[in-house]
Amino acid sequence: MKFKSLLLLFLIAILSIALIACSEKESAGENPSSKDNEGETNTDIDPFDHSEKYSITGMTFRFGDPPPTKSPGLDLINEKFNIEYNPQIIPQGDYVEKSSAIVAGGDMPDLVGFQANDFRFYQWAEQGAFLPLDDFLHHFETLGGIPDHIYDAFKVDGKIYGIPRYSQPYPLTPMVRKDWLDNLGLEMPTNYEELKAVAIAFTNEDPDQNGEDDTYGIAIGENINPNFNMGAYWDASAWYHQNDEGQYIPGIISEGRKELIQFFADLYETGAMTKDFAVLNWADTNAEFYSGKAGIFVGGVAGMSEDYMKGLLEIDPDAEFVSIPPFEAPDGSQGFTMGSGNSGILALNANMADDLGKIYRSLELVDYGKKFFPKDQRNPDNPDFDWMWGLEGTGYNMEDGNPVRVPNFSSDGLAPSTYFLDNREHIPSDSQPRYADDYSLPAMKDLVNSLQDMFESGQLYINPANGVISETEQDKGADLLQFIMNEQAKMIAGQRPVSDWDNLVEEYLQRGGADIINEVNEGINNKDYTDHQWD
Amino acid sequence: MAKRSTGSKVFDTLNSFLLLLVAAVMIFPFLYVFSVSFSSVSDFLENDIILWPKEWVTDAYEYILGSKAFIRSLFVTVYVTVVGTAVNLFFTSTMGYALTRNVTGQRTILFLVLFTLLFSAGMIPTYIVVKETFLINTLWALILPIAISPFNLIVMRQFFLSIPEELKEAALIDGANEIQIFSKIILPLSKPALAAFGLFYAVGHWNNYFAGVLYLNDPAKWPIQVILRQIVIVNEPNAALGGHEMSLEALPPPETIQMAAILLATLPILLVYPFLQKHFAKGVMLGSVKG
Repeated sequence: MKFKSLLLLFLIAILSIALIACSEKESAGENPSSKDNEGETNTDIDPFDHSEKYSITGMTFRFGDPPPTKSPGLDLINEKFNIEYNPQIIPQGDYVEKSSAIVAGGDMPDLVGFQANDFRFYQWAEQGAFLPLDDFLHHFETLGGIPDHIYDAFKVDGKIYGIPRYSQPYPLTPMVRKDWLDNLGLEMPTNYEELKAVAIAFTNEDPDQNGEDDTYGIAIGENINPNFNMGAYWDASAWYHQNDEGQYIPGIISEGRKELIQFFADLYETGAMTKDFAVLNWADTNAEFYSGKAGIFVGGVAGMSEDYMKGLLEIDPDAEFVSIPPFEAPDGSQGFTMGSGNSGILALNANMADDLGKIYRSLELVDYGKKFFPKDQRNPDNPDFDWMWGLEGTGYNMEDGNPVRVPNFSSDGLAPSTYFLDNREHIPSDSQPRYADDYSLPAMKDLVNSLQDMFESGQLYINPANGVISETEQDKGADLLQFIMNEQAKMIAGQRPVSDWDNLVEEYLQRGGADIINEVNEGINNKDYTDHQWD
Repeated sequence: MAKRSTGSKVFDTLNSFLLLLVAAVMIFPFLYVFSVSFSSVSDFLENDIILWPKEWVTDAYEYILGSKAFIRSLFVTVYVTVVGTAVNLFFTSTMGYALTRNVTGQRTILFLVLFTLLFSAGMIPTYIVVKETFLINTLWALILPIAISPFNLIVMRQFFLSIPEELKEAALIDGANEIQIFSKIILPLSKPALAAFGLFYAVGHWNNYFAGVLYLNDPAKWPIQVILRQIVIVNEPNAALGGHEMSLEALPPPETIQMAAILLATLPILLVYPFLQKHFAKGVMLGSVKG
């Protein structure tokens, strides 16, 4: 029958597509071992020889809009590196799904970006999809300068497979309206009791002195964010506390967190924190503070929005901000938690292994995107910087000695910088940038300086869970975190008593938390982290 | 007219009141979006807008209508919707009609159609099909993979079955062939069905966003929904769940712009409804009653 043969044809077609997809994956898996050996035999190639033209593809995620696929910035890169560069820049929210589909479709690009702690990186590296980088990194200025202890987090079976995307070691920490403190004659708080008193005073005593009851203490949004930890002891995301068996436990179920939740519950009752925090997104939470309603929020040395700050200064020109120093914890410790050291990972496709020239060219490209330009070199006199920002007059203009991007800088893809998969400058640990230099508003400079001085004069806790991967955490972590956040939000709002804390912890452990703790502690032991480490 | 009892009057009043309340609940979000989109950012931040802008400002619209990406994506969506709906209607009606005739293997084909209705392939297999047919990064990727909706096909076939066989026989006697019967007899009789399914398909195309994200690599080809999502949601990092990687950069544009974008992206397809409402209501009942 005609139909039957058609059906047969159809099934064969499906089967063959499936086979092609599978076989491509397998071949990717077989490559790495053969590649290792060749890397050793061919090291006499000059890594910076540009005579051969290569085609390099890549994909990564980005917050914000992807740039166009044809542009002056891309042309500059192709010309400089003698490559045919084809980066796919995918909106962050869709990245996991789209990149999985692309890889399953058999087209893994030469360079693959991951968000921090993406389990797929470790999984695929184990399956041999990526190239071990140990033998190559030392040729490159920035990549070779990244300390080994940071690369440790990207090792699988002892080999480096990933390149970290830089992130601030300094966390976001609480800040307070200094002008409000001064108006009410209050001192900088040094413990949660005093902080509570300040928040309540901000609510009841008209700190902006406009005669209206229109202010309150702490701006906070959904997922109890920011978490207002005043040190690692209270940090929900740090593994600081230990259980009876000596295992580290996540901050979210610790004694410190319980104390903090009680603190919030007290504030909620008195109206000294955002009432509808449970449904407020991050932008709205920012708006609570930057519209002059709340007096306590968080700030960081990098990534602050001057537009928001400008808006607040228009409403209240006298506004001043200052960071709150860490509180002394019941166990005597004092200090915030250090950042994890990376905000993303970049890996190279294993099928490049036979082509040493292409490996070097790809790494040169990656290395260039991460190059750090100190303040005195961010001008057209530095040809590398000028190139990176798309040449003066096209990509940027100098105003008061500072480079300022033109408005269509990224939407029209004017500069190479936009197209590097990892275009975050890797600040070397020996350089001492003043973060305030990046801002123009005096109030912002003061705040950033106060934060940086505070971090530099104190200690930061090194979170033992950094770079430790737990399969259960990947599997259930997000749901579990959401669950416990919701329950803790109920405790704050008085719908569940804080005295029920031990039951909540028990629930957390039963729903997979216990497995996560075991797995993470195994990882912590493997890197010989025993006592609390500070830096 | 018979005199109505007091109870009936009370019931009617109460009913009207309740329905008005329900209507208000439905209209309120639209009104809010509308008001915010015409307000200034500072009015919005001070929470002064509830139902009506304090001061009419068109900044948000100027910003959006001045954005090349937004306008371009609107055209892309109109194109995909128009071409896509035409393709949908063509294939759904022709296949639906063919399946009412005595075609060899008709039952098997119907079974296959039903099968896809019950078990659909996941994202990755579909992606591979689209890729192997070289549709990646073309607008056809938004049209061809969903050229026929099995559900609509079956309902359409049911509708064709309800057209009396005698009409076709009469045309046959007059010397018409199958194509003529279909185009001259069946299609004109099926206008309400076509309008209803056209609307279903068009709304589907208009609102389709994930296919755009998945299959189109070039942002210049993105449909409006993807751009809209970029404006409204994507820029918001899920801060707390990201632990220390919380970022203060890449904050979304002000709410006024978000609201204006929402309104501009929704309005065109919303305007189609009143004109097709009549057919639409009819379409929902299609195939339910045979007669």
